[in-house]
Amino acid sequence: MLKTPGHYDYMPWRRRPKITWPNGAQIAVWLAPNIEHYELFPPPNPRRNPWPRPHPDVLNYAWRDYGNRAGFWRMADTMAKHGVRGSVSLNVAVCDHYPEVIERCCELGWELFSHGTYNTRYFYEMDEAMQREVIRDSRETIKRASGQTLDGWLTPAISNDETTQHVLAEEGILYTLDMTHDDQPTPVNTRAGRLVSIPYSLEVNDVPLFVNRNTPAERYAAICKAQFDQLYEEGTESGTVMCMPLHPYLIGQPHRVAALDAVLAHITSHDKVWLATGREIAQHYIDHHLADHKAWIAEGTP
Amino acid sequence: MTLPPDYIDYPIRKRAMDHDRYAYRVLPRATPVTWPGGARIALWIAVHVGHFPMDMPLKPFTAPGGMERPYPSYWDFTQRDYGNRIGIYRMMKAMGARGLKGTALISAALAREYPVLMEEIAGAGWEPACAGLDMAHLHHAEVPEAEERAVVAEAAALLRARFGDAVTGWHSPAHSESARTADLVAAEGFTWTSGWVNDDMPYAFATKAGTLTAMPLPQDLSDQRMLFQQNMGTEDFTDAVLAAHATLDAEARATGGGRILTLAVTPWLMGQPHRAKAFGAMLDAILARGGVWNATGAEIAAVWRAQA
Repeated sequence: MLKTPGHYDYMPWRRRPKITWPNGAQIAVWLAPNIEHYELFPPPNPRRNPWPRPHPDVLNYAWRDYGNRAGFWRMADTMAKHGVRGSVSLNVAVCDHYPEVIERCCELGWELFSHGTYNTRYFYEMDEAMQREVIRDSRETIKRASGQTLDGWLTPAISNDETTQHVLAEEGILYTLDMTHDDQPTPVNTRAGRLVSIPYSLEVNDVPLFVNRNTPAERYAAICKAQFDQLYEEGTESGTVMCMPLHPYLIGQPHRVAALDAVLAHITSHDKVWLATGREIAQHYIDHHLADHKAWIAEGTP
Repeated sequence: MTLPPDYIDYPIRKRAMDHDRYAYRVLPRATPVTWPGGARIALWIAVHVGHFPMDMPLKPFTAPGGMERPYPSYWDFTQRDYGNRIGIYRMMKAMGARGLKGTALISAALAREYPVLMEEIAGAGWEPACAGLDMAHLHHAEVPEAEERAVVAEAAALLRARFGDAVTGWHSPAHSESARTADLVAAEGFTWTSGWVNDDMPYAFATKAGTLTAMPLPQDLSDQRMLFQQNMGTEDFTDAVLAAHATLDAEARATGGGRILTLAVTPWLMGQPHRAKAFGAMLDAILARGGVWNATGAEIAAVWRAQA
């Protein structure tokens, strides 16, 4: 068993080589709606049972299904109102089940990246060949549904196994979201290929906040605004990243969507913000800052 | 099946503790202590700097912040690790801007893993204290004695190799100990500990290898308890700290004896961007009340011992 992921080097949050974002922005803000399908009758996985109740777990299945039927549409309209694009963490089978959802994402100019096939097909105990097969399926499905290339990856339920990041790099994935160790992009060490990590978030993620931490909607908005304010301020020293992961079955509920509206109004009222997609952040980092970061690490992070 | 008759025998039922580690003490009758400069409150900022290996045992219990998701839990590991990469620097900056220092309760394995972090802790003027080897090596009754002794020795050696004699404090990770932990810790040369959460003021803690000074490090009023375990809001924690400060400050005014306000804080929690302003505002509110002496655990323990 591994004690640590071993995919990144220690980079203290001081005196880092400066990151600059396009147009003098201090912060790159990106929204990652998780558009998911959880199966009613998923196959078993030795490390995790997808549902807390015997299958079919009608309550938990239907709660998530609400996201694709109702919540997504409300969430997408709210984002569009503020001119904020999404980078979709997509269970790619959604392309087959609900093409209407994908059409709306494409109409809004959103990025699609892979969150596996279904959120109930974990990577725990998958051999590398099977992981590769899922990644290739994702690449083909996203291409077919949107014409886009597959550049980003978040393992379903962050169920990555020990070798997943290596396989991602070998398959030509640009950026991974499986690690939440930083507020900036970082290099990812893999046995071959090139991979970077860009910040995802479990701190301002609606699942931990609403489901696990009992957060009322107004407090959720206050937390997101505080997260933005701090990273915006720190971005005067070196460009930061704020990711807002969203789940339509939560943030798209009628009693919560106003909180998203309020947060986006706050963010877009600032001028030094780069409203980016995951792919744009990763590509900018690779083109302009990855080499500096690697060199700084090699020097011992002076 | 019924209980044996001796189930209601009480052989140690007498005016004393049910162990011989320390004597009962009435807090309001404790010898008053005077802090330097006539301060009413010694402000001890105790920062939990933990290392959580992904293969950590989850038996007999999971340490707070331990792996909750299936192996390999990047979910849990990288969030804790965020504290050591990012969060602690945010807290150092907030404290440094206010002229405040703290005590780092360090998983000793970090001296090996992250030497740069150790340099920064030393550079900030913080006290390095030993919080065991790492969060995968908790101290509890099911650890064999030889193994526990070896873990204490390895942890002490790792931190002393970096910080030398500055390492005098021991915090048992997750506030968990076996019946012999204090003996092993004292035998290893530590002089203060903070595992037992039973007082607001230091007291003498007896071991087979001499007397330790038990320091007050709260769990009930800690960010790990309130923000992580109880899912309260940031302001619930900072408000509670300020309420504690008001009570302790009033007690100090009334009795003429100094009190200690300990901030039990954690970089992977209080060092998150959305809590940074609240952390700074809490420090400002504490300082604004006046009569505060900011000190390390070792400094507070030394002043207390000199007057005990």
